[in-house]
Amino acid sequence: MVDAARHPKIDIRAYTEVERVEGFVGNFKVQLREKAKYVLADRCNGCGECAKACPIEVPNYFEMNLAPRKAAYVPMSQSVPLIYNIDMDACIHCFKCVEACGKLEAIDFSMQDKYTWEDVGAIILATGYSHFDPSLIPEYGYGKYPNVITAMEMERINNSAGPTHGDIVRPSDHKNPQKVAFINCVGSRDKRFNPWCSNFCCMYSIKNAVLIKQGHPEMDVSIYYMDIRTPSKGYEEFYDRARELGVKFIQGRPSMITEDPITHNLFVHSEDVTLGRVTELEYDMVMLNQAAIPQPDANVMSSLLNASQSPGGWFMEYHPKLRPMDSPTDGVFLCGACQGVKDIPASVAQGSAAASRAGRILHSDEWEIEPTVALVWEDRCVSAQGKKCGICANACPYGAITYETGKAAEVITAKCHGCGGCVAECPHNAITQLHFTDAQVLAQMRALLAHKPEEKILAFRCHWCSYGGADLAGTSHFDYSSNERGIRVMCSARLDTDFIFEAYRLGAGAVLYSGCHPQDCHYITGQVLGATRADRIRKGLESAGMNPDRFRVEWISAAEGDKYSRVINEMQAALDNIPREILLEEIETLRPTMEKRARRLREVPEVESAISYSDSADQAVKAKEA
Amino acid sequence: MHTETIETFADKVRTIPGGEHLEMCFSCGTCVSKCMIQQKVEADYNPRRLIRKAVFGLDQDAFSDITTWMCSACDLCYPACPQKIHISGVINAVRDLAVQAGSSTPLSTAVVNEKTCVGCGLCVEVCPYEAIELKEKPVPNRGQNLTIAQVDRNKCMACGLCAASCRSTSIELKESFSNDALVDDLWDWLAVQKAEVDA
Repeated sequence: MVDAARHPKIDIRAYTEVERVEGFVGNFKVQLREKAKYVLADRCNGCGECAKACPIEVPNYFEMNLAPRKAAYVPMSQSVPLIYNIDMDACIHCFKCVEACGKLEAIDFSMQDKYTWEDVGAIILATGYSHFDPSLIPEYGYGKYPNVITAMEMERINNSAGPTHGDIVRPSDHKNPQKVAFINCVGSRDKRFNPWCSNFCCMYSIKNAVLIKQGHPEMDVSIYYMDIRTPSKGYEEFYDRARELGVKFIQGRPSMITEDPITHNLFVHSEDVTLGRVTELEYDMVMLNQAAIPQPDANVMSSLLNASQSPGGWFMEYHPKLRPMDSPTDGVFLCGACQGVKDIPASVAQGSAAASRAGRILHSDEWEIEPTVALVWEDRCVSAQGKKCGICANACPYGAITYETGKAAEVITAKCHGCGGCVAECPHNAITQLHFTDAQVLAQMRALLAHKPEEKILAFRCHWCSYGGADLAGTSHFDYSSNERGIRVMCSARLDTDFIFEAYRLGAGAVLYSGCHPQDCHYITGQVLGATRADRIRKGLESAGMNPDRFRVEWISAAEGDKYSRVINEMQAALDNIPREILLEEIETLRPTMEKRARRLREVPEVESAISYSDSADQAVKAKEA
Repeated sequence: MHTETIETFADKVRTIPGGEHLEMCFSCGTCVSKCMIQQKVEADYNPRRLIRKAVFGLDQDAFSDITTWMCSACDLCYPACPQKIHISGVINAVRDLAVQAGSSTPLSTAVVNEKTCVGCGLCVEVCPYEAIELKEKPVPNRGQNLTIAQVDRNKCMACGLCAASCRSTSIELKESFSNDALVDDLWDWLAVQKAEVDA
């Protein structure tokens, strides 16, 4: 900490909140609110005279409320920067601290929160985690029985700088306990509260047990566990050491703790699973290893930075295996437990990785992005004509589109990841996606459906998942119908309703609308956008009177080659079930409806030239055949 | 690629409502240490082990396990289970399968004295397990279509509420909980009390 504070290129802004974030990778603007400390940072020398003079005592959060602190305080004696702070919620304005400070004149009661804007190139989120409140589990009696404590409280009691100077005492009578039990998985691996494993509790309960056993070999220490998880380097050896020191490991999850009201001793009711017998053992003190949970205000940071959260509330990484330190927003990185529960070595490794990822951005003058970004045709955007729209901005999972009535919508190219959701959503065809323009996709469709379209299955696949699934089906030699014709787009969000209707107008036998599973989507919520639209298309086709077997929506991952081949084969079988003359008749009857629904596609710039080009190519092929 | 699915014992348990999610069991033992039957009545009673027997397809073991027959569905364990398994539902499903396979409860369940039952239906109302029904039955020396209480042995948990509420002492548990045995116990206890007072 001190090294970081002395480093010429590190600027620590303690007691400061992020209020707003604007801009994009390499060019963020961040508004910071430096909360008023009521002590001038440049004058305070950290002598602590103000704290000595202060008559007010409040519980010390850093000591897990086991010790008091003054209203003029530093969180801990090693705080960096060492500047005192006055807690205005507790202060009674006696001004004794001002007297004590004397000539330094560092205390200023008129101080206000200070707002500043800073230019930054990259942002690293390292907001950590919070603790589960064990009093939510009534059967363990935390908060009701004085000698049931949490692991963090044990951490302070067992610390030589802590409130008891490292003397292990129990809260009810301040005597040294002789029998101590630790209970693992309190609130974690518990579907009633948090389903995840909190990762490091096994190790720190063993650590605390070893520390106690080393100092007090006569003390009886038992650990109640469901499974002991010691997967990392050296961890299993540490577990062995705890056994050698005589720590008792009891497999079984306690169902309740009861208390002797006179001695305040505790009875832990649990089945010893290995014995198959219910035990009710007496302990002097019980420690609960509570679950790690996301910071309660993680959602605020999530909306500030457009950094999405996983279902549990942890920040979502770009890719769980390949990019675990990147957030879905370019230039925002994650490290430590805010991304998912992890212990210190893993947090340090991820922090170093995040720092070097951020360094890549800071060291380059130009930043390369994927070329498949969206572009707005300003003359077509109705927002420019003074109408209220903004559909594209709502569709964008990255918040890359800004719009104002009276001005054409604007795509911030550096923020755009190229899913194409806005392109498909725009009702006026005013946005296009480079390399996946309507004209390009249409040209592919016309080429694939040029001959005997009624026999063809046109498969729209997303680049990341279902295209990979089809590829895997091929490389694994899973047979599927040769009538399948595939078109790749970046995301199922790009699949315009016009494409589907145009495919049926061209006479396609069947159409597959495929993409990632929702949790696998590479564009945060692109699949959700695609899935909603697919539902709408299905209803539209049903109301037009089309055979529902001719349209199918499937979410296929890159690992599901077998599913891809099965889906295509099922579609082929369904298509074979429709007699050819009925199919041809249905295509002809529906052609005017489809033409009407896909009419907007023809308004798109360059589409006419694509159509005339594919027509001429078609004629050339026919002439050659003739 | 097609594989034939074989219906295991666990699958059978799963298809009975209440028997789902048994494969989620951690085997942590919370249910066992929460259970009052295990602690106060029967040391061999163990829901965790019964779930394990069901998962591993040990159906004969499960049918002869006392746990299958003694669960009173008080549901003390259900709110404590970290995997949210409805344990009494699983036990009930195993019991249904045991009955289908021809096993029957080892408990000394309630028995109706057909000669004296008047068919008032009090016992039907008090039974917490819906094990008693009023049905017509021919009874020798009383009539051909007599409406009397009849006990479903496999639903009865031998709690004795019916015996306590019957006004004509026509329904009772057998062996050590029969009316005679209980009255004898009471006399013995009174004799002990009296001896203590005299001394």
